[in-house]
Amino acid sequence: MAITGASPAAPAVSTQGLTRRFGDVVAVDGVDLVVQRGAVFGLLGPDGAGKSTLIRMLATVLLPDAGEALVLGHSTASEASAITGRIGYMSQRFSMYPDLTVAENLDFFATVRGVPKQVRRERSAALLDSMGLAEFGGRQARHLSGGMKQKLMLATTLMHEPELLLLDEPTTGVDPVSRREFWRVLAGLHRGGTTVVVATPYMDEAERCSAIAFLQDGRIQQQGTPEEITALVPGTLVEVSGADPRAALAALADLPGVGSPHVFGEVVRVLWEGSLASVEGAITTHLRAAGFPTVRVTPTRVDMETAFAVLAEAGR
Amino acid sequence: MSLTRIRLLVWKEFLQLRRDPLLLRLLLLMPIIQLVGFGYVVSVDVRNLPTAVVDLDQTVVSRQLESSFTASGYFLVVARPDAETQLTSLLDTGVAKVALVIPQGTQDLLARGQTAPVGIVVDGSDSQIASVGSGYAAQAIARFNASRTAAFTGSLQAPGIDARTRVVFNPTLDPINTMIPGLVAAILMISLMSIMSQAVVRERESGTLEQMFVTPIRPSEYLIGKVAPYALLAVAQLSVVAAIGVLWFKVPFNGSVWVVFVGLALFLLISVGLGLLVSLISRTRQQAQQALVFIMIPTMVLSGFIFPIESMPEAIQPLTYAVPLRYALTVLRGSFVKGSGFEALATPLWAMVGFAIVIFGAAVIATRRRIAE
Amino acid sequence: MSGAGVRIGAVVRKEFIHVGRDPRLLAVVLIMPIIQLLLFAYAISFDVRHLPTVVVDLDHTPDSAAYLRAYEASGLFDVVGHGADPTAVDTAFDRNEAQVAVIVPAGFAASLARGEQAQVGVLVDGSEPNSARVAQTYSMALNQLYGRALAVEWASTQGVDLGQIGLVEPRLRTWYNPDRASSIFLVPGLMVVIIMIVTAQQTAVTLVREREQGTAEQLMVSPLRRIELMIGKLTPWVIMAFLDIVVIAVLGVVLFGVPMRGDPVALAVGATLFVASCLGIGLIVSAVAPSLDTANMAAFLVAFLPAFLLSGFAFALDQIPPVLEWISRLFPARYMVTISRSVLLKGAGFPEVWPQVAALAAYALISLLIAVRLHGRRA
Repeated sequence: MAITGASPAAPAVSTQGLTRRFGDVVAVDGVDLVVQRGAVFGLLGPDGAGKSTLIRMLATVLLPDAGEALVLGHSTASEASAITGRIGYMSQRFSMYPDLTVAENLDFFATVRGVPKQVRRERSAALLDSMGLAEFGGRQARHLSGGMKQKLMLATTLMHEPELLLLDEPTTGVDPVSRREFWRVLAGLHRGGTTVVVATPYMDEAERCSAIAFLQDGRIQQQGTPEEITALVPGTLVEVSGADPRAALAALADLPGVGSPHVFGEVVRVLWEGSLASVEGAITTHLRAAGFPTVRVTPTRVDMETAFAVLAEAGR
Repeated sequence: MSLTRIRLLVWKEFLQLRRDPLLLRLLLLMPIIQLVGFGYVVSVDVRNLPTAVVDLDQTVVSRQLESSFTASGYFLVVARPDAETQLTSLLDTGVAKVALVIPQGTQDLLARGQTAPVGIVVDGSDSQIASVGSGYAAQAIARFNASRTAAFTGSLQAPGIDARTRVVFNPTLDPINTMIPGLVAAILMISLMSIMSQAVVRERESGTLEQMFVTPIRPSEYLIGKVAPYALLAVAQLSVVAAIGVLWFKVPFNGSVWVVFVGLALFLLISVGLGLLVSLISRTRQQAQQALVFIMIPTMVLSGFIFPIESMPEAIQPLTYAVPLRYALTVLRGSFVKGSGFEALATPLWAMVGFAIVIFGAAVIATRRRIAE
Repeated sequence: MSGAGVRIGAVVRKEFIHVGRDPRLLAVVLIMPIIQLLLFAYAISFDVRHLPTVVVDLDHTPDSAAYLRAYEASGLFDVVGHGADPTAVDTAFDRNEAQVAVIVPAGFAASLARGEQAQVGVLVDGSEPNSARVAQTYSMALNQLYGRALAVEWASTQGVDLGQIGLVEPRLRTWYNPDRASSIFLVPGLMVVIIMIVTAQQTAVTLVREREQGTAEQLMVSPLRRIELMIGKLTPWVIMAFLDIVVIAVLGVVLFGVPMRGDPVALAVGATLFVASCLGIGLIVSAVAPSLDTANMAAFLVAFLPAFLLSGFAFALDQIPPVLEWISRLFPARYMVTISRSVLLKGAGFPEVWPQVAALAAYALISLLIAVRLHGRRA
């Protein structure tokens, strides 16, 4: 039941009951997802959650076993050819020709995607320049470092100015500086109106997204804006410092009103279900009694990492 | 050197082989396919050559002449055109490969005691058939003449020759009897060289070779662990070939098991050495494959495996001494077919000892040095 | 240029870059065919010309010496040694020094003088069946001729004219290849075998490599259609294979004196279709093989072995078991060997070889379509 002749108003991605199995394993299980145009959509989840499978189905590389995915208004199953020219897909592993140079890789994939010669020349120069690859144009792809390889792949997917970018863990294994640069490029694309769907295991990257979905065991656990997600976390997040974190964690476990205690660096973080006013008194009293005289209790903002740790725990 | 570590390495190779079931199946299927191919195609005995007979004489003599051809079993009459001109299309299309033309008046000429020419046409675009066909045709005519002479002189007590031709060693002249021992050696070489080189190069490609050398595994242990499983596999392959050869193709074995054993052991070392050398000069499996083809094709042609060395031009023959397979073939064929012992096969066996020392030695030293780097 | 043309052009360029960056591959494609041609064409011969022979003359008479000279004079038997007694034969056979032995027993001349059939022994080493059979055939013919000559000589002394018995004299003509040069027979077939090995082996890995590199997925997410990818991948190989064919043909004509008697257009059309068929096979292997190792092995099975054994290039197809003959029809090599030999040696053109050309056309089309269907089926 494909919807043809898509209107420009159609969402960038919409899926209904999208399911994919590999043997006995259900990698993606009844996913309903809507990505609005112009969004930077984060697909989050631990390793093996089904992120790659979902992205590859959206990229028309894999066929769904059940359900349907509409990308730019076209069915990925029956109208792949209406989609492929308009999207950019960057797979998790390096997938360029190792014996072709940076410039040759760019030029080949752009030609195949129908970018005219003049435009190819201008764009590849601009892209290589903006990504700091300008001086490596003549280098064979196999001799690039990890971060440069990722940038080359991104540049390749951008040559035909796709309306929708599907990125599968683009920054995994990339150094922090390159990661920041990478997101700077994505932010620029976002401003230019490109829709981006990015899968990532890094929760801090989720904060940079305009909308996110949290995937676990092939199912979407939560979706919304980062604010909406953090708002879902019940209670207040507080940090307990000034005591050995492991010992304090053990002591806090039996205090009523405390949820999801976990060690976070040198501090213990807990969710307090009661009122903000009562939290400091209740915890310090409890810990003093347990032999920790000098603890400090500070409420903090719920970040993505905690939100997902908590929500994942609740989801089990 | 630690036996435990070697056993571990051998086990790892078998595990990896089992992971690729298609490859393993192909490896076991390969010798059987080669056996069928070489057994039934290469070692085929040329018989029933499609023959066209143009009998323009239509007499008793012409029919006798024709039957002296067909009685041999080498010629099968497929067409009887009325005119010689029709031969062109028969040979052009390959319907007939040989033609016998008996001109009109042959019987009359013979009766008058004159020499009667008979035309024999062979298709020279197929050398094997041309060579064999013309030989048989000459023999058939010689027999025809001899029987005519004998009919005349038999009563006269004329002297003659009674040649007793006897074929020794392979009386049925069945080519399969020499093909199978050769195939045993050839498969040992192909198999060992290809799987060995591929396995080592794959390890380098995937970076596990580097991993291996930050462990306590020593280069010599690594080598043994790598060689042993594939040597076993190759031995299994050639056992299959030998078993099918003896049981199915009924190839007789006349020689000593020890000669075969020593010959194969030496050749195994040479093949392993060649496989390692290939892996040393190849960065990728693709390159190893190409290097392999580069070595295999000259080996196949020059060893005498398919094409007898005696038939090669004299300028080419010295090259064959550089091909190790040549000596392995002499030893195996000598042992299988002729039952030759160590004494008769001393020269090829010593040549193989020399090759084994040079090739295997060089390969092991170079591999160890490469590993130690 | 149309969109499809531009896309195919991009693939063609890319494939050429791959080959250009890999000097070994270049060597395999351009130099190996020449080496193979020289090797096969010079080394392979089916004509048995020199059979090493030992003679053992126990009679020591002028008659026995004259009889043994007939062997030397034949040109086929090379007398390499004279043994004093029959054990010399065993030694010579064991050491591979001789393949034929002729033993003339004592009393040979005496038997002839009595007008009897004098016995001689001819021993042939059967461990090389091909030459053994030739040795057998020719020694029989030689003895019949020699026996007849003796009879004629005797008859003339007796006043009987044996010339009354008319004899049949064979007039042997070898068509298409009068000197029966093996190279002229082999070169047209070799061209086919070499092309099959070079092209199928190389294309068998091309799609596997795209998959292993992950670039196959990238190509799926592009407007490049599968058929365009295939055509783009084939074009450079068709060009290179054609280059090989031209080089082999020129060498064949210049070095080995292979004639070009037929219609070159028929040969060119056949060769194009044949190359496309080989590449189709290579692509099918490439589309289904899960790994490079398997692809290599499978290419050996479906390209090398059939081209070598079932093409008729060296081993006659009408002599093999029917099952194998039938299997040989499943591979394109045999059709092309027929075309190549018919056109070059027999002077054929389309009217003679159209069935083979048609078979190759069907083959090329079907194998390419199967390859397209099998490759990049979306999982």
